[in-house]
Amino acid sequence: MRSLTLHLKVLITVLVLLGVAVTAYQILVLGIPVTEDETDDLWNIDAKIEFVASTKDPVKVQMFVPPLNRDYVSLNESFISNNYGVSVNRADGNRKVTWSARRASGNQTLYYRLVLTKRYSTEKAKIKGPTFRDSLAVDGPEKIAAEALMAPIRQHSADVETFVGETIKRVNNLNDDNVKLLLAGDTSSLKKAQVIDLLLSIAHVPMERVHTIRLVADTPQTPELWLRSFNGNDWLYFNPDTGEQGLPSDRLLWWTGDDNLITVDGGKKANVTFSMNNSEMNAIRLAKLTDENTDADFLEYSLYGLPLQTQQTFMIMVMIPIGVLVILILRNLIGIQTLGTFTPVLIALAFRETQLGFGIVLFTVITALGLSLRSYLEHLKLQMLPRLSVVLTFVVVLIAAISLFSHKLGLERGLSVALFPMVILTMTIERLSITWEERGGGHAMKVAIGTLFAASLAHLLMMVPELVYFVFTFPAVLLILVGFMLAMGRYRGYRLTELVRFKAFLKKADA
Amino acid sequence: MFGLIKTWKALEARGIMGINRRNADYVLKYNKRHLYPIVDDKIITKERALAAGIHVPEMYGVIETEKEIEKLDQIIGGRNDFVIKPAQGAGGDGIMVIADRFEDRYRTVSGKIISHEEIEHQISSILTGLYSLGGHRDRALIEYRVTPDQIFKSISYEGVPDIRIIVLMGYPVMAMLRLPTRQSGGKANLHQGAIGVGVDLATGVTLRGTWLNNIISKHPDTTNSVDGVQLPTWDGFMKLAAGCYELCGLGYIGVDMVLDQEKGPLILELNARPGLNIQIANDCGLTQRTHAIEAHLEALAKEGITEDAEQRVRVAQGLFGHVPGH
Repeated sequence: MRSLTLHLKVLITVLVLLGVAVTAYQILVLGIPVTEDETDDLWNIDAKIEFVASTKDPVKVQMFVPPLNRDYVSLNESFISNNYGVSVNRADGNRKVTWSARRASGNQTLYYRLVLTKRYSTEKAKIKGPTFRDSLAVDGPEKIAAEALMAPIRQHSADVETFVGETIKRVNNLNDDNVKLLLAGDTSSLKKAQVIDLLLSIAHVPMERVHTIRLVADTPQTPELWLRSFNGNDWLYFNPDTGEQGLPSDRLLWWTGDDNLITVDGGKKANVTFSMNNSEMNAIRLAKLTDENTDADFLEYSLYGLPLQTQQTFMIMVMIPIGVLVILILRNLIGIQTLGTFTPVLIALAFRETQLGFGIVLFTVITALGLSLRSYLEHLKLQMLPRLSVVLTFVVVLIAAISLFSHKLGLERGLSVALFPMVILTMTIERLSITWEERGGGHAMKVAIGTLFAASLAHLLMMVPELVYFVFTFPAVLLILVGFMLAMGRYRGYRLTELVRFKAFLKKADA
Repeated sequence: MFGLIKTWKALEARGIMGINRRNADYVLKYNKRHLYPIVDDKIITKERALAAGIHVPEMYGVIETEKEIEKLDQIIGGRNDFVIKPAQGAGGDGIMVIADRFEDRYRTVSGKIISHEEIEHQISSILTGLYSLGGHRDRALIEYRVTPDQIFKSISYEGVPDIRIIVLMGYPVMAMLRLPTRQSGGKANLHQGAIGVGVDLATGVTLRGTWLNNIISKHPDTTNSVDGVQLPTWDGFMKLAAGCYELCGLGYIGVDMVLDQEKGPLILELNARPGLNIQIANDCGLTQRTHAIEAHLEALAKEGITEDAEQRVRVAQGLFGHVPGH
């Protein structure tokens, strides 16, 4: 026994020391900041290209990538692909990457990653652009409609800027018969852009299509279409849907022109998904690191070296031990009773989707309804598996109903329930109802409240951004946690609730 | 906060064992995992006990599959009373005690009339693992219904009172008589509302009791005193409990026994994680007693002696017996 205790002590010491040492090395030697630096905007953009290669033909994939000539500076750019040749070339102010392979088959995935930050410079590069162009050929009813539209636009405008603004306004007036004719029933941004292009060309005003990406973390998106025109000094940007002028500062110009983002020869079903996040690294230090040592980059060996989508998953995963630690403390130190051992952690994860308040309401409502169904099923004397299946199906239907209901009421939050783990809910209902039957309603309520409390606490802790950043950046902290958990494994002291439970002893001693 | 620390100190001074200590120092240390099935499965316990010549309630039959539920009538035969139990149930859950039957209906011990179908459903629930630890498939056990000795009539409400003795390495350390109440629905489990009454290890005379974590001296349903009752054949119980160490090999167990009107002391089941309320019933902490036994074992180990069940009972009675009355 004593040797076992010694063994454990040594193990705990080693783990804690290792954890502290690695973390200290990261902070002191590598100079990784301990907290998120909000002022430095550093963007990680991942474009994931998926397509199905045909077996016979050689594959050639061409995709636009940001030209990066204004406002942004690239810190690191990589083209991740197996067995593909990569080349990048510039044309007409755009940059295009070409991946090519002689032979490929099946599903293919390529990654393009860009790490960039805003360029804080005052000097402006000279900009050149066209100021005149020829009209596009048009005739028949379209020509008459276009000319009918042009007259009031000319009247209401003074220069290029107001002319383009007015044109966009007119084209977005969908009640106008001339507009209806030109749009031919298609009200997408693309079609509108086409019509605007036509109208502007009649007046010989140059116009270019600009495809942008919005720098917003964690939201999937597709390139957004803007229009721009050169007024002799500067580019003027317009939104084809709203007529809004001026490109918002969070837009990154990806490419210009009429071409598609991606062209695939020798493949089909090409699909590009963008994911980006606002990286927590200090931009200046990172820039230094990427410049100095390109191949021995320490980030390659941290969780930041993973693809962006995987990183986001890991940000959740590394927090699970924290949640487990909460349960451990609540159960073994405090003595709160919960349903199952790690059910509260799973519920806490589910709260990520729903937010805490709504999650608790949802959990309570579904569990309460499920319990009443369960008590009804009790009369039917069903076997366990069929009964559980009925409850699970009921839970699914209930969630669908809640989603539909809240959607109709305009509460988008209701839709987030789709991912609320139904199996966990079903098992919670089942266990709670057994507890209810065997130990009474009071005990069941106590356990349910304990579970919700533990889940809420775990959820809140797992959502603290500073903590997420810290654990994600310094995963060695987990070793320290393991050390604590090991120590808890041989904790022999009382639980807080036991102090209350055994109070009877003290009353006697006093009397 | 200061009050809590004071409570903590006071409990520690009295040697009260908490769940964490029980798990770390006794359950994990003395109970080898691979031996758990012997106590977790009541059928295996029974077979072991029979092989060792220890008295247990007679087993009428075992039902293992849904198909075998048909054989229920055959197993029951002409008997009017019997008990259906999950082989791996925990905490007394899922036990059905049939006291009588007439025509096609059965009467449970609490007076509820149930049909044959309801019994079959209960067995089916048992088989699917509703009551088993971990929820895996289980077996249903049909056995002799114990008729409690008349001595318990005045201090018990329905059900069967049982006697729990905590045994460390074969040495009984603490004993408790568990009396069902109206609230516990005839079951003898403390968390369901049964009363626990401490028992003097040397004499078998009952001490005060605990009910829902409070100290009491009268049965709430019958209002008769629960203390000062002499339990018959006490030494028989002690020997039975001490012998369970050889039976299962687990070092720290709770042995549940009953006193049948005709068959005397019988072993009902063994528990590898016995509860801690026995301390309140005896108004005494477990830790001091277990430390005394561990010291005794160490002394014996030095001399290279091992003691048999009877000697162990005498050692325990000498160490912990003759608690002064209240």
